[in-house]
Amino acid sequence: MARDLAIDLGTANTLVYMKGRGIVLNEPSVIALNRQTGEVLATGREAWQMIGRTPGYIVAVRPLRGGAITDFEITERMIRLLLQRVGVSRFTRPKVVICVPSAITEVERRAVTDAARRAGAADANLIEQPMAAAIGADLPIDEPVGNMVIDIGGGTSETAVISLGGIVALEAVRVGSFDIDAAIQNYVRREHGIAIGERTAEEIKVAIGSADPTPDENQAEVRGRDLMSGLPKTVLLTPEEVRFAIEDVISSIVASVIRCLSKAPPELSQDFLVRGMYLVGGGGLLRGLAERIERETEVPVRMSNVPLEAVVLGAGHVIEHYEALKGMFMGARR
Amino acid sequence: MSTGVVILVAIVLAGLILVVVALVRRRGPDDHVDSFRRQIDALSPQARRPTIGTMKPPEPPAADDDGDDAP
Repeated sequence: MARDLAIDLGTANTLVYMKGRGIVLNEPSVIALNRQTGEVLATGREAWQMIGRTPGYIVAVRPLRGGAITDFEITERMIRLLLQRVGVSRFTRPKVVICVPSAITEVERRAVTDAARRAGAADANLIEQPMAAAIGADLPIDEPVGNMVIDIGGGTSETAVISLGGIVALEAVRVGSFDIDAAIQNYVRREHGIAIGERTAEEIKVAIGSADPTPDENQAEVRGRDLMSGLPKTVLLTPEEVRFAIEDVISSIVASVIRCLSKAPPELSQDFLVRGMYLVGGGGLLRGLAERIERETEVPVRMSNVPLEAVVLGAGHVIEHYEALKGMFMGARR
Repeated sequence: MSTGVVILVAIVLAGLILVVVALVRRRGPDDHVDSFRRQIDALSPQARRPTIGTMKPPEPPAADDDGDDAP
């Protein structure tokens, strides 16, 4: 008998929750293929380590961008391999709940459910990421109070107001932590004349990136390829430069939070001043982001205890209480 | 004549089955209330505790997997 699964199919990472067991898989959403034969060479962490370091015949790709499937066939193969790793076979076909960005189109929804079914799921249902995040972050969404959750993922940032188990207001932008990495890459190329890879950009973000000035800031040595000479080169990058580089992305995220706040009914708005907003997702870990949102909205911002796992834990709770909570699936609302 | 009776009986039986199925599947207002109540109960902190409270997230990945391209 197959154990049912909840999947957080993220642009950056894929997490799988197995009913009765908990989180059984947490791997980057990356697949490495042989360009000539199309054979899968690696998935997850192993494939992630290959990004930007492969010979010509290997390509390591992220099949999701902005929370949506960009390559249906590769995504299906990646899901199939990940499901195999947690014990799904052609004889054990589990029910699957998949977390997706709330703003995905009908076509994108169908692509996700079809990919999961073809990868071995008996039935596939979707749940909005902010809803799953609110459940996983243990917010009191069963009560008639305003709960606000900000989920900043790799490709999307979503803000939702939730009360009595339903989404009251929602705002989503297809901007996330990968856009922060890309902004750093572009800045270093433009201002310092060196090319760096996406993994190096991510490491710069983690090392000295911030959305607001923070104490104990340090410079970072950045190594890349000089665009003029083609030779390896090292430059020094300051936190101020990184803040300048990522300002457009951060402003876009903060603006979407403000738009969501303005959509909330006044009765719920007053709750936010007391209860605050909850930040989840890997992008929410950027230093100074909570402070920046708090400064611009004048609403307290709190970090979830499980920012990276909140979404899959929420979906996992739905799979544990499948019959009672199936009304929360996308398209199932009455 | 007998064929006509059989067809008539079959039609009546099919009709009865449809009516019974419709009655069984019909949801009264109380069903919606119960369904909503079950959903809210399943979202309560007590119901979520076994999933979330006792959950130990997996260990973070080792930081040694790409030491050579650090900024």
